[in-house]
Amino acid sequence: MNLLQEIYQSIVRRDPLSTDKGKSELVFLNVWLHIHPAKVKREHMKFTHTFYLGFITLFLFLILITTGVALMCYYRPYPAAAYQDMKDLQFVVFMGPFLRAMHRWSAHGMVVCVFLHMCRVFYTGSYKKPRQFNWVVGVVLLLLTLGLSFTGYLLPWDQLAYWAITVGTNIGGYAPLVGGQLRELLLGGHTVGEAALLRFYVLHVAVLPSAVILLTMVHLWRVRKDGGLSRPLSKLKPEPQQKLVTIGAVPEIVQLKTQPALSSKTYGLMEVVTGKPIFETISPEEEDDAVFSYPFAFVREALALMATVTGIMTISLFFHAPLEELANPAKTPNPAKAPWYFLGLQELVSHSALLGGVVAPAVMVLALLVIPYIDRNPSRQLKARKWALGLFAAFVAVNLILIVVGTFFRGPGWAMVPPWVHVVGGTE
Amino acid sequence: MERRLQQIFFALSFLALVLIVGAAWQANTPRWKTYQYKFYELEAQGEPNALTKAAVLATPPEVHQQLLTGLQRVDRCTTCHLGVEDPTMKDAPEPFRYHAGLGPHVPSRFGCTICHGGQGLATDKESAHGKVDFWPNPLLSKDYIRASCGRCHKEGDVPGVPELTEGRHLFETQGCRGCHKLNGVGGSIGPDLTAEGANHRSPDWLERHFLAPNTVSTGSAMPNFHFSKDQARALTYYMLSLTAEDMGSFYSSVRLIPGPAYGRQLFVEKNCITCHNIGGVGAKTGPDLLGVAKTHSSEWLDEQLVNPELVYPGSSMPAYDLEPNARKALLAFLISATSADADSILSKRPAKLTPEDVAIEAGKQNFSRFGCVGCHGTELQGGVANPNAQGGEVPSLLHLSDDYTKDEVIAVIRNGRTPPLDNPKGLAPPLYMPAWKKVLSDEDINRIADYLWSKQQTKKAEAW
Repeated sequence: MNLLQEIYQSIVRRDPLSTDKGKSELVFLNVWLHIHPAKVKREHMKFTHTFYLGFITLFLFLILITTGVALMCYYRPYPAAAYQDMKDLQFVVFMGPFLRAMHRWSAHGMVVCVFLHMCRVFYTGSYKKPRQFNWVVGVVLLLLTLGLSFTGYLLPWDQLAYWAITVGTNIGGYAPLVGGQLRELLLGGHTVGEAALLRFYVLHVAVLPSAVILLTMVHLWRVRKDGGLSRPLSKLKPEPQQKLVTIGAVPEIVQLKTQPALSSKTYGLMEVVTGKPIFETISPEEEDDAVFSYPFAFVREALALMATVTGIMTISLFFHAPLEELANPAKTPNPAKAPWYFLGLQELVSHSALLGGVVAPAVMVLALLVIPYIDRNPSRQLKARKWALGLFAAFVAVNLILIVVGTFFRGPGWAMVPPWVHVVGGTE
Repeated sequence: MERRLQQIFFALSFLALVLIVGAAWQANTPRWKTYQYKFYELEAQGEPNALTKAAVLATPPEVHQQLLTGLQRVDRCTTCHLGVEDPTMKDAPEPFRYHAGLGPHVPSRFGCTICHGGQGLATDKESAHGKVDFWPNPLLSKDYIRASCGRCHKEGDVPGVPELTEGRHLFETQGCRGCHKLNGVGGSIGPDLTAEGANHRSPDWLERHFLAPNTVSTGSAMPNFHFSKDQARALTYYMLSLTAEDMGSFYSSVRLIPGPAYGRQLFVEKNCITCHNIGGVGAKTGPDLLGVAKTHSSEWLDEQLVNPELVYPGSSMPAYDLEPNARKALLAFLISATSADADSILSKRPAKLTPEDVAIEAGKQNFSRFGCVGCHGTELQGGVANPNAQGGEVPSLLHLSDDYTKDEVIAVIRNGRTPPLDNPKGLAPPLYMPAWKKVLSDEDINRIADYLWSKQQTKKAEAW
């Protein structure tokens, strides 16, 4: 009995959860739960402020890792075997179709959620000082998510995969000077083939996931270090009144008194770090509004987790992941389309290769990266940000329209064909 | 509020559990298991012994599959079609019925899809029968299934499939190679047919195409050859059999032992004697073949048959489109061939040939083998429709000598020619004379000219 108790105590060191000390220790003695401080403000948890999109993205990523590792047990990344392994997953692996469907729908879901998360952060102005750098990290994570989805797209080695990647990498090849070389580096050749499949596999299961995991750690860390979860606008303190200053008056700067350190004293870290922290802390007057992270925040996040998991499971139970014919380099489908999230680019490329393949994506990525440094307006109030919100809304709308047009309105020969018109004999 | 949230959390967790169980149930109750239970019930009916009966009924359900590395496929058809190799199941209902008349082609060695088509990897009926989206190769209907024999039996007659023999014969005699490549030999006006059977066109499409190319493929350059229904079917059979798959040596064998008798037959069929002699008997254009198997390695001889130009640049010997086993058979014949063989082969030929006759005969062979007959006709009569070319059709070659010298004709064969237009503003005619200098040696072209000249009818003389 004593031994059991000892084992339990060696794992769980906190006080019982019935005490406030226990609730605090649950958080700050635990590496995972340390994602929150021991106490958070009530308004942080307001659903309609964040829609928990960041968390949902994270949970989708966890589902992807879990199902992805399971799928790796059945997959061999070379053309002769890849497609057959897909068929085996479809027909003989226990719960194989369910597994593939969960992975596929979570991947699409993650692309969608990461984008919505970005929109939310922009809308609430949460990228502003001191959070500029975390926005940049977030944009890189968005690009990595697209990269993960794109590299995974090739792996089933069916017609859908083969031609989507062929079209997608061709768009990349339009970049001047380096485009061709980058494309060749990615594909390991001039066309999508055995080498490309292996490279995409390595990127998909090793390089990109590691990068996402590392950057997600930075992203979460910075959320806490830059002031904790985003707060709803209504709860913001009014901006401090500008003090009227008499020109020529002596500035009221009080010099800090310095004192020579005592040689007999050793200093703790908290005594060395001086100055006000850059992030918001819970001030005594806000103490009433603060609650323990456990259970208030964690239960809500666990709820988001379960909602994500059950949602994906329900979809996967009824809709299986697509699998077309074996990849056939000699048989181009008409039209050959890139993955849906690149169809906006493909639509632009159909008008101008330079514009769609080079200028548009470069401008988009650069603009996203520098947003927090260009937007000098310190206010987070919607009324004070009409220009920024208008521009961003236009960016989102143009992207959506291009993707919808590319996905649903483009038929054989990239001609405008509404989705309700059926084209007969398009491929013969 | 907090209590309610916790309740929702537990409700969702329960839902997740239900969904997992649901997915597992879905995965655990495939149709093939039902079929297997039914089959074991059927099998147990005939068992008198109660113990064996119980044992049969207790057989655990499992996926059955044939791993056919030689055929590059895995067939799981016998997961449901459990009785195919069991003669006691000859009256059983489908999918359990015994497959009679298979001969040596037992499913355990050949699988099912190599003949029947369909999707061997699948384990549900619709997918396995290939009648689903994204599986281009559905089950072949009864009418066409014998075409599959030609996928392995690539040479000679296939017993029970006269259509294949007829199709191959039509292909080689109607000049299809003039426009179509097959195994690297042929023209390039039409599509390469080496893997036509793997293009998964429906047999119906192919058959209608042969009867009237333009009705199924608008704007096709292919002339209407006015094939009969039987001929169209024969050609469809042949097309379906062309898959260019590497079947592995076990399966690709036509005559499993490539013996000298088959080699001799090929030696006659391919008219080797029109160029070669054995021990001095025969033509002198090519080298004496007596003892050639002793002076040259079999690899060298094999290469000589596949690609003579590679062995001797400028060699006048044409490349023959022969199966590996056919080449082996020819070599087997050459090991034992004597001048007596050459004598008997020559004596069976219609007449003793002069060197001129040999040249003309070789030209005729080339004219037929490289598909000139496709457009110009077996009797040089021409007449295949070619819209907007002068005269509206491919010209006859019977009156060449009126307007051209032999050298001019040779130049046209070498370099090709687009026919003069009827209406200069109209579309280019679909058929044109390809340039043959890269395919044929000068020697071959000269022979063709010899052959053409031997057939000239002087129009002027007739006119007078």
